[in-house]
Amino acid sequence: MRSRDGNRLGTRSIFKLVFLFSSLVLSASEYLISYRYVVQDAILRNETLSIAKTMQKCSGSTYDSLLLESDGGDNLKQIIFQNEDKFFSFIHALGLDVKHSEINTNLQNSSTTILTLKTTCFKVDFNDNFAKISPLN
Amino acid sequence: MKYSLLFIAFLTVAAVTADETPSSNITINCENAKTGAACSKQQTQVIDSTGLDTVVTDVPKKEDFLAKGAEVRISVIGQGVAPMNTSSPAQAYALAKRAATADAYRLLAEKVKGVRIDGQDLIKNMMVQRSTVRTTVQAMVKNANVVETTFKEGLCEVEMEIVLAHAQFSN
Repeated sequence: MRSRDGNRLGTRSIFKLVFLFSSLVLSASEYLISYRYVVQDAILRNETLSIAKTMQKCSGSTYDSLLLESDGGDNLKQIIFQNEDKFFSFIHALGLDVKHSEINTNLQNSSTTILTLKTTCFKVDFNDNFAKISPLN
Repeated sequence: MKYSLLFIAFLTVAAVTADETPSSNITINCENAKTGAACSKQQTQVIDSTGLDTVVTDVPKKEDFLAKGAEVRISVIGQGVAPMNTSSPAQAYALAKRAATADAYRLLAEKVKGVRIDGQDLIKNMMVQRSTVRTTVQAMVKNANVVETTFKEGLCEVEMEIVLAHAQFSN
């Protein structure tokens, strides 16, 4: 027969596990991210990165993931700006829509290039030292 | 009376069968169809409802750019310049790199998908008043890799490459 203390310890550890698991599940959230930048005559003119938490659940499954270092917070904007290069390389690899128009009038050239990441839903798992970002298709 | 009714029924049947002739018939002939090899040209034969007129048009077959199991590596170098009013060399580098990446993406799109070109010349009194050439590119570029980045005297160059495989287009 088990002692009362032993049972209490067992119950406590089970509660701890349940709490840990639920906190891990709760820290996963979904974000809508879009990105666009305009280059005019080989000079960057405008760059916009929009991040918003989804108001309803996204459908689809994750197909790629990126681990970003964080200091334990759940502010995605801050985490992204801390790992700017890594994140933008990841976004470029996902695929960008390219729109380029060039006009040459009387042998004088001017060009505009717009690169766009259409609004995509990302699943983000916040952990102690890193955040895992995965796009949903 | 009996024979006249039979005669009318015969005429009706004859009229219905005359209307049922096919309006058009299209057949595709290939010279080496027996061997099973791909045709170099497709011949389309159109036979009209009368069966007398025959129109033959040659439709060139699309060439396979990528053979099965083959890969094509396309490499480009995009160039970008930093704006004049930057607060630090690091910012200048970051902005120039972004511009160069966009240029490289544009070059990849041009190579893979192609460019639309529109030209317009205005000539008045035997002289060219205005000459305009517009080029546009629109594409979605995925899985392009940065190979090398250099920044020298305000000019940033980004070398990018993309690997095209037959499997990507076969579905």
